[in-house]
Amino acid sequence: MYAKSLLFTTALLPVVAMAGHAEEGWPEPVKEYYTGQVLFDRLELTRTDEEENLAVWDMIAWYGGDYHRAVFKSEGENVQDDGEPTDLERAELLYGYLVSPYWSFQAGIGTRGTLSSDASMENYAVVSFMGLAPYWFEMDNSLMVNEEGDVQFVSETEYEWQLTQTSYLQPRIEFTANLTDSDKYERQSGLSNLRVGLRYRHEISREFAPYIGVYWNGALGNTADEMKRMGEDTTETGVVLGARVWF
Amino acid sequence: MSNEFNKGRRKFIKSAFTVASALAIAKVAPTWAAPQGRSFKDQILTNDEIDLTIAKSPLLVGNKVGAPITINGQMPGPLIRLKEGQRAKLNVTNRLSEDTSIHWHGIILPENMDGVPGVSFEGIKPGRTFKYRYDVEQNGTYWYHSHSGLQEQLGHLGPLVIEPKDGDIGADREHTIILSDWTFEDPDTVFRNLKVAEGYYNYQKRTIFETFEDVRQHGLEKTWKQREMWGQMRMSPRDIADVTGSTYTYLMNGRDSAMNWSALFKPGEKVRLRIINGSAMSYFDVRIPGLEMTVVAADGQPVKPVSIDEFRIGVAETYDVIVQPKHNKAYTIFAESFDRSGYVRGTLTPEIGLEAEVPELRAVPERGMAAMGMGAMAMSGNKEEKGMMNMSGTDGHMNHEMMHKKELPVENIKIEHSEGGHGAAAAMIAMNPTSRLHEPGIGLDNVDHRVLVYSDLIGAQEWPDKREPERQIELHLTGNMERYMWSFDGKNYTEVDGPVQFRHGERLRLVMVNDTMMDHPIHLHGMWMELENGQYPRPRKHTISLKPSEKVSLLISADAPGSWAFHCHLLYHMKAGMFRVVNVA
Repeated sequence: MYAKSLLFTTALLPVVAMAGHAEEGWPEPVKEYYTGQVLFDRLELTRTDEEENLAVWDMIAWYGGDYHRAVFKSEGENVQDDGEPTDLERAELLYGYLVSPYWSFQAGIGTRGTLSSDASMENYAVVSFMGLAPYWFEMDNSLMVNEEGDVQFVSETEYEWQLTQTSYLQPRIEFTANLTDSDKYERQSGLSNLRVGLRYRHEISREFAPYIGVYWNGALGNTADEMKRMGEDTTETGVVLGARVWF
Repeated sequence: MSNEFNKGRRKFIKSAFTVASALAIAKVAPTWAAPQGRSFKDQILTNDEIDLTIAKSPLLVGNKVGAPITINGQMPGPLIRLKEGQRAKLNVTNRLSEDTSIHWHGIILPENMDGVPGVSFEGIKPGRTFKYRYDVEQNGTYWYHSHSGLQEQLGHLGPLVIEPKDGDIGADREHTIILSDWTFEDPDTVFRNLKVAEGYYNYQKRTIFETFEDVRQHGLEKTWKQREMWGQMRMSPRDIADVTGSTYTYLMNGRDSAMNWSALFKPGEKVRLRIINGSAMSYFDVRIPGLEMTVVAADGQPVKPVSIDEFRIGVAETYDVIVQPKHNKAYTIFAESFDRSGYVRGTLTPEIGLEAEVPELRAVPERGMAAMGMGAMAMSGNKEEKGMMNMSGTDGHMNHEMMHKKELPVENIKIEHSEGGHGAAAAMIAMNPTSRLHEPGIGLDNVDHRVLVYSDLIGAQEWPDKREPERQIELHLTGNMERYMWSFDGKNYTEVDGPVQFRHGERLRLVMVNDTMMDHPIHLHGMWMELENGQYPRPRKHTISLKPSEKVSLLISADAPGSWAFHCHLLYHMKAGMFRVVNVA
């Protein structure tokens, strides 16, 4: 028994030495690092050509390490003084994994709809491919499938022209495509929406950067046809005033 | 005979003048420090047994009160002078509210005295005293610093000079200069900023107007060609230092440029300057306009004298230079951050109160194709393109170097990248890593004076172990700026299973390849690294700086049993995991 335990101990010794910093109770020389960030990429007031005022947000929050992160994304708007509730365009909780130096793959669940007590929310599963494309195009591509099985693809791309060390001109393009028709949510298949914007941003600090900008939003394809049939305007333009804020 | 006499004379004057000049500064400093409200302590500790107390105390740094970590009440800590052959007795008392430590950088000592928490010992708990005891078997210029968390950024560091046995310093007088970078931000905030916001401290990025200007000057095609590669790689040629003068105040012996640290000389004297880069993150380019500098030691180890006008000092490196000012006037000691985002100056003067002209910061440099591991391709490019791309080395320089360059072992070593690169942790792989020891480095390629290069360094003497290496270990320096990930071979410290294993007594060749766009000062504890730079005797280093896409080879005698830290000495790179334990058994 004694011999056996001695043998066991001897066998263990090299393993202990292998750990490099052998003794129990010693701290690790380098620890894993976790942090998080809340970033409002857009937090703005919009004045549309219809003379409506909107409050708009588009944010992402994350927590985690280098590879694994919990991600929360949210986007929505509220038309001011119309008595209508806030429109939540997306609220998603995802798990993200860094798959290559510049890209993370994210998967999770989301919900969207009108934030009022009587409306039912549209719940969906979502996967995203988010990162930095060559030539510094910042992209977030998401594929959503709701409970009805409707499939939608949303792609957002931003680019930054560095004007000075603290100011930027930033074009932005976002398009939505429905891979299936949806009766319940009145969606027509095909490219449905395109939104392009341009904003000028000036950093007061890296964390707080007010901006002004313009955008054009247009319905496309079957969606546009449908809107025309209903007598609705298929395009919208507007000016925005807001800030990019993170903490 | 005359030699002997000289030695004696030097020894005498040295001891007389080092004390005299130290006293002069100590006496005089408060008068010009007074307007800033701080009377400087410049302790020199020479006792047989030395007590060091680590505390956090408010102190004026530049023109603002900061909360540095002080050692015996001063930041940087006191100059510790030991003598070769003595037994070092250093008692370190922790008056902080967290663990601390002191690592004796570059000193050969037993494993349990090396001062790395988690590798050599437990660390020093609040209220406790740790007694460092080791035999001093070397001489030269070294330094000491905390190896706990980010304490080094708070000024927990100081100079360590070991006098040679015979007392001959090869000069009439000496001064020790420790350079550091100070921020009023919390170091943890700095690290988080780097982690969450790429380029947070870089205020020298290329603007679109510079692109327009390039198009105007060179045409659209060439401008596009130059931008294309960087765009594809999603990297910036202006990404030189992670943390810059936008938050840093650069210090020379704890003083900023306005406080102007000054050192005395008498015209005609030989003055030995012991220069230490104690920065957390900053490389400096050091020159003394009007004075030639003769490098006589690198990392504390003697080298054959090299006369130069400027040298780059990587983080944690030390250089000893001898200057011989002949005129009765002041000279500026100018240490410029290598990304040109700031500087610190001091003055070498025959009398306190004088100062000399302070040079302008030079233009922000850009990385060239060589940084991407395309050195060979870059060289085949036409002249015009080279000029435009701000390529490393003018034609003249390159030809000159090529003629004199000896074949280095590393040039015949084929570099293997692991299958599929190094994963998401490595944003880049050096396509064609080359030896860059003969290059002065980014921003110094086209200066019109002599700049020290690694291939200039020749050891002053042969080192005891003359064996050929039996074994080769290859390590790649990897990184991903986007998430501020730094590692070796694509794995940070927390992701590896065990240490890098050295066999006790073996002679080995360490090959390192820098697969990143940044310069990294790599430091091995406990053992010397002999740099294979084509010279013999080879220079010995404790810290070796690798340029982007560079490969180097070093010879190591694994003669120090135990566990040793091996890491990038950029503090936040180490914190991010660019760290390994080397086990010698």
